Amino acid sequence: MTTPMIQLSGVRKSFGSAEIIKGVDIAVEDGEFTVFVGPSGCGKSTLLRMIAGLESIDGGDLVLNGKRINDVPPDQRGIAMVFQSYALYPHMTVAQNIGFSLDLKKVPKAEIAREVGRVSELLQLSELLDRRPAELSGGQRQRVAIGRAIIKQPRVILFDEPLSNLDAALRVQMRAELQKLHQELKPTIVYVTHDQVEAMTMATRIVVLNKGKVEQWDTPIELYNNPVNTFVAGFIGSPRMNLVPGTIIGDATGQSFKANAGWTTRLDNRSLAGAIGQSVTLGMRPEHIQPAIDNVDLEATIAIVERLGAETYLNLRNGDDTLLVRAQGDLALAPGSTVKLALNHGAFHLFDQSGRAITG
Amino acid sequence: MAGISEKRSGAYTLLAYVTLIVISIFCVLPFVWMALASIDSNVQLFLKWPDSVTFDHYTKVFAEENGVRWFANSLFTVLSATFIVMVVAGLGGYALSRSKAWWKQPFLYAILLIRVLPSTALLVPLYKILLTANNGIGTVLRPLVGEHYRFVMQLFGFIDGYLGLIIVLATGQLPLALWIMKVFFDGVPKDYEEAAILDGATLVQRIRRVLIPLALPGLAAAGLFAFMSAWGDFLLPLILLSSPELQTLPIGLFRAFLRVNEIDYGLLAALATIYLIPAVIAFSFARRFLVQTFSGGVKG
Repeated sequence: MTTPMIQLSGVRKSFGSAEIIKGVDIAVEDGEFTVFVGPSGCGKSTLLRMIAGLESIDGGDLVLNGKRINDVPPDQRGIAMVFQSYALYPHMTVAQNIGFSLDLKKVPKAEIAREVGRVSELLQLSELLDRRPAELSGGQRQRVAIGRAIIKQPRVILFDEPLSNLDAALRVQMRAELQKLHQELKPTIVYVTHDQVEAMTMATRIVVLNKGKVEQWDTPIELYNNPVNTFVAGFIGSPRMNLVPGTIIGDATGQSFKANAGWTTRLDNRSLAGAIGQSVTLGMRPEHIQPAIDNVDLEATIAIVERLGAETYLNLRNGDDTLLVRAQGDLALAPGSTVKLALNHGAFHLFDQSGRAITG
Repeated sequence: MAGISEKRSGAYTLLAYVTLIVISIFCVLPFVWMALASIDSNVQLFLKWPDSVTFDHYTKVFAEENGVRWFANSLFTVLSATFIVMVVAGLGGYALSRSKAWWKQPFLYAILLIRVLPSTALLVPLYKILLTANNGIGTVLRPLVGEHYRFVMQLFGFIDGYLGLIIVLATGQLPLALWIMKVFFDGVPKDYEEAAILDGATLVQRIRRVLIPLALPGLAAAGLFAFMSAWGDFLLPLILLSSPELQTLPIGLFRAFLRVNEIDYGLLAALATIYLIPAVIAFSFARRFLVQTFSGGVKG
């Protein structure tokens, strides 16, 4: 295996007495699109700023392309960054903004102009080079910020929640443009977001962070299918996975899950004989619960119906449990009525009392 | 509905315009009198059209009185003070904005207190301190400069010297300027500097290529306030300066007004007009920066 482009080993960071990053170990391969995702305050932006060199590292090693760079100044790391606010210099034109880093390096004017031309063509900014940032739309500013990053031909580009200032439609469009850009230029990208949809759609690999620690670090689909704990299970996937508390019951020949609310369902293809009597949490994706006539596992009362056309979200009550169902097609169901549900037994996730996934 | 509001707005507009015109005339009248009187060959104390246009009053200011010297003194001391204010407020405002030190808030309110204390009340202790400083610097300089002592003290003395007046003028304007710059830099995201760091800018390059251009509207506003306020300051030059060759324009105007045997309204009007011009020019230059600064920070 080749050397990773970025390697973090036991990286720590404290602000005063508060430890923000509590020992992070991850590796980002060359050309990979890695997304740091997590709720606000999880330390993802701090971690990104530590890679950029804007925050010091209190412990552990940050290795870039085989070289330890803990104490290398930001501008000598070969890293570019796109800020959440874009941070375009308002007193400079688009061309000056994009070419600023080359200008600082005393690159000849003609060469700067050529490079700015190349980058602006790539980002469809050629028409806007003489404008100032105030005269640009949100999407255009975003592209200028990206242009300013890629003109340096950095080994790594860092993105700090770059789409959070854009409206929903533009965000979808910029997501596609970023992916296209990544396919064309193949830079190593580390991208921070709190939006798990952005993470799922763009990432080669996702690092799920929570309270300064890596909860799970894998490909998007692996995170979706095999979350290692209830935090990842709840964070990845929209709408959220249903997490139902209960116990494992049964005997050596077969086990079932008994929800605290009273209903039971059998657990197939698992060897849980040793876990009988244990309190567990059952995780079910909303698409793995469907209204049914046969093989009914439980009944629930409809609280809210959201009809989106192609699919229908049902918010259901069963005792104290709330269940979210994502049913195919348009279902004209009335709130207050009961619905019979069938569960996809093969897609169950089981978590122990501490929240860790139970395999087996 | 629309008809009623249109009718009402018609009457209101008329009333508003009439009121505004009356207020405008009230405000502008003294200036009109001054401008007309300064070119009137037969000046009276009441407003009238000049009998004949003459520039004798202006000639008198510059030829018979020491007008050029007064004007130059005013301009030199006030511009120097403004320059000091802009540099110190620029650096200090940046530091006060970015610092997380515990003494930041107490310090900011303390300097605001300086601003609200009437400077007249502080004159006596201030004079005492300056006098001591003046004696000190005099003792040091006297053996060094020998026969040029008087001239050197007029430049670097704290009492009856340019330096003292400049420093005191600048100090008086600094609290407001520091606040303006602190608030201004609060509105300048740190991202700009961090982006410049990642672009490879050194500290000097960050200040010169990024921070100063970003701070320019704020600096212009702070400098303008300092200039206009120091330009209008009368008490400090009156107390601190005594040599006739150091007199500033407001002192010259004041002395001309106090002459017992004659009140030459033409001369006074011409002096006052000259005194007004730099302030008006300064204001017209910095107007757009003012709007930008007080409507909230950096756009873009």
